[in-house]
Amino acid sequence: MQSSEERFSNPILGLLRAAANALLVPLLAVLTAMIIGGIVIALAKGDPFYAYVGLFQGAFGSPKALSETAVWATPYIFAGLAVALAFKGGLFNIGAEGQLAFGAVMAAWIGYALPGVLGIDLPAIIHIPLAVGLGALTGALWAAIPGFLKAYTGGHEVINTIMMNYIALNLTSFLLNAPMKDPNPDNVIARTPLIAESARMPIIFEGFRLHWGFLLALGVAFLIWLLLWKTTMGYEIRTVGANPDAAKYAGINVKRTIVLTMALSGLLAGLAGAIEVTGLNYRHELGFSIGYGFDAIAIALLGKTHPAGVVLAAILFAAMRNGATRMQFLTQIPVDVISVIQALILLFVAADAIIRYIYRIRAREERVVLTRGWGG
Amino acid sequence: MKKLYGVIVALLVAAMLIPACAPKAPDCTKADVFCVGMVTDVGKIDDKSFNQSTWEGVKLAESELGAHVQYIETTDAKDYAKNIATFADAGYDVIVTVGFALGEATYAAAATYPKVYFVGVDQFQAWQYDDDATNDRANVAGLVFPEDQAGFLVGALAAQMTKTGKLGGVFGTDVVPPVWRFGEGYRAGALYIDPNIEMFIVYHSDVGFDKTFTDPEWGAATANSMIDKGADVIFGGGGKTGNGAVIAAAQRGVYAIGVDTDQYYTLPEAAPRLLSSALKLLTPGTFDLIKLAKDGAFPSGNYLGKGGYAPYHDLEKEVPAEVKAKMEEINTALLDGSLQTGVSPVKP
Repeated sequence: MQSSEERFSNPILGLLRAAANALLVPLLAVLTAMIIGGIVIALAKGDPFYAYVGLFQGAFGSPKALSETAVWATPYIFAGLAVALAFKGGLFNIGAEGQLAFGAVMAAWIGYALPGVLGIDLPAIIHIPLAVGLGALTGALWAAIPGFLKAYTGGHEVINTIMMNYIALNLTSFLLNAPMKDPNPDNVIARTPLIAESARMPIIFEGFRLHWGFLLALGVAFLIWLLLWKTTMGYEIRTVGANPDAAKYAGINVKRTIVLTMALSGLLAGLAGAIEVTGLNYRHELGFSIGYGFDAIAIALLGKTHPAGVVLAAILFAAMRNGATRMQFLTQIPVDVISVIQALILLFVAADAIIRYIYRIRAREERVVLTRGWGG
Repeated sequence: MKKLYGVIVALLVAAMLIPACAPKAPDCTKADVFCVGMVTDVGKIDDKSFNQSTWEGVKLAESELGAHVQYIETTDAKDYAKNIATFADAGYDVIVTVGFALGEATYAAAATYPKVYFVGVDQFQAWQYDDDATNDRANVAGLVFPEDQAGFLVGALAAQMTKTGKLGGVFGTDVVPPVWRFGEGYRAGALYIDPNIEMFIVYHSDVGFDKTFTDPEWGAATANSMIDKGADVIFGGGGKTGNGAVIAAAQRGVYAIGVDTDQYYTLPEAAPRLLSSALKLLTPGTFDLIKLAKDGAFPSGNYLGKGGYAPYHDLEKEVPAEVKAKMEEINTALLDGSLQTGVSPVKP
């Protein structure tokens, strides 16, 4: 037993203890998933030890590996924050994938076409923020639609965001195959032309692909934390998420808050796409960014919908995706094993009773309200 | 109980930490160790298509040349460069990359790793035809194919199998040379068997590049109108447009012929009526280039592989023995050069 006095007397210790408590279940979930993953690897006639050595080396074993892990983490952080923010507002944004795709398409268009349309060369200081900003805004507008439908018609955002994913992905496919396709005669791929040099986000260290988007992602994670816990708007979002009826009686404009939450969520997802285009790929291609929006749901859950948790979870997922290459290189086991491990982690985090039962941990923390059913 | 779980967990961890038999990978940086790595396009190694056929060629290098071979499956297009670098940094001698989409990453890697040989499957090397020597990369070979020979083979097959004496061919735009070669090879092969045969050959050149390969509805409608006019074999070549024609033909119950790889595996809707497919033979082409690299005779630029035709599968019993024999005869003649398709490389 510890008294509250003690907790206040040593704030750092208290913070550490809180962090340890919050991290306990996710960490055990990761450990358990990796043990089961090891069995799966052994069944696939691989060597679990070498597989995990490879995974670790590939993710953290060299400066290049670290850089690549951060590169992978960047869209995961943005998209994970997008889903986590919606969760905080009591909304389940499954549409991050579509919002991300539109963010990427818009950023690519601003990147390759806008100077020509305007007939002037844009300096990087204007071109980069314009591409990133309008890409994010496109995601926000796209997400605001299901937010609006939820707030004013009661149309459930889960259904609507799923539907709008199909619209977004097929529309993207059309755009990349037709009006926005790279006109180079050798090209047979659905992709845009390369964006102008002035729209490319600079890399941080020469020789590595790590770009400023990663630091931006960390900064945005901090801003989201500030927004949620240090501003009135964040308080309103969390209150609507916890109990919309109470929020209404407290005088909060629930409808407006729902639309705003979805728009902010879409803004973050759009950022994920726009940053991938301006910071890494320098174009949008149909093969890029497949599934980030769905991985983001897992990341938001694993991160307990807290911005700091999302950053850690995003780095974990990024490390696994990035390290998978070396794992396969060393052991020749299918990279699908990584998906199995990620799915197990998600399972154990979502159904944390399993982990609590196995490791005999008493439930003590509040449950995270994720989303409500129909008409909630 | 609590202890029991602890013991189980401890045992599992221990089991993981003791490698049963540590695979000792050879050191590819050594001069006498010949290593070949393959990077797939987004997709699996056993895709029954380009990745798998190429990997079989790499595996041949393992059994025939004693090469140490490994593959990396690409899960996201942004990893192309990283996956190639994983092999190059480990000292691999030859790196095979599969598909047009990896072309840029392969070409870029060739400059970064001048001592590594790169085989780009289906990657046309445009620099071979420009005048700027600074674009040249002596360590890259693009494996390209004689589509006219593959088209010739299925054309000859179609001409022998038709009962109405009318054949259909539905293709993407003829501005793209491989498509032109498939289509005209098909025509030449059919006329080689029967100079009086009636052929409906349509290229989808009436639309832009954006649409020509992605128009299955047009492909199906065009195939159907040919069938209405009496065609009883349809060859579809050109991405989704051609696939639409192949599927439509199979649904109407006439013979369908696929393209590129054995589409018996990739178009299950058409499989029961799929007579054959005009093949790009990736397996021998990949192997040949690896062998040339090992022998120090690596050909940079574009390397012409071989064309072929796929097995008859479900229709094995419907194809008469004399047709099968004739097909093998034509194939041999095309391979040894005694028979020429007479198709110009590009549309004149």
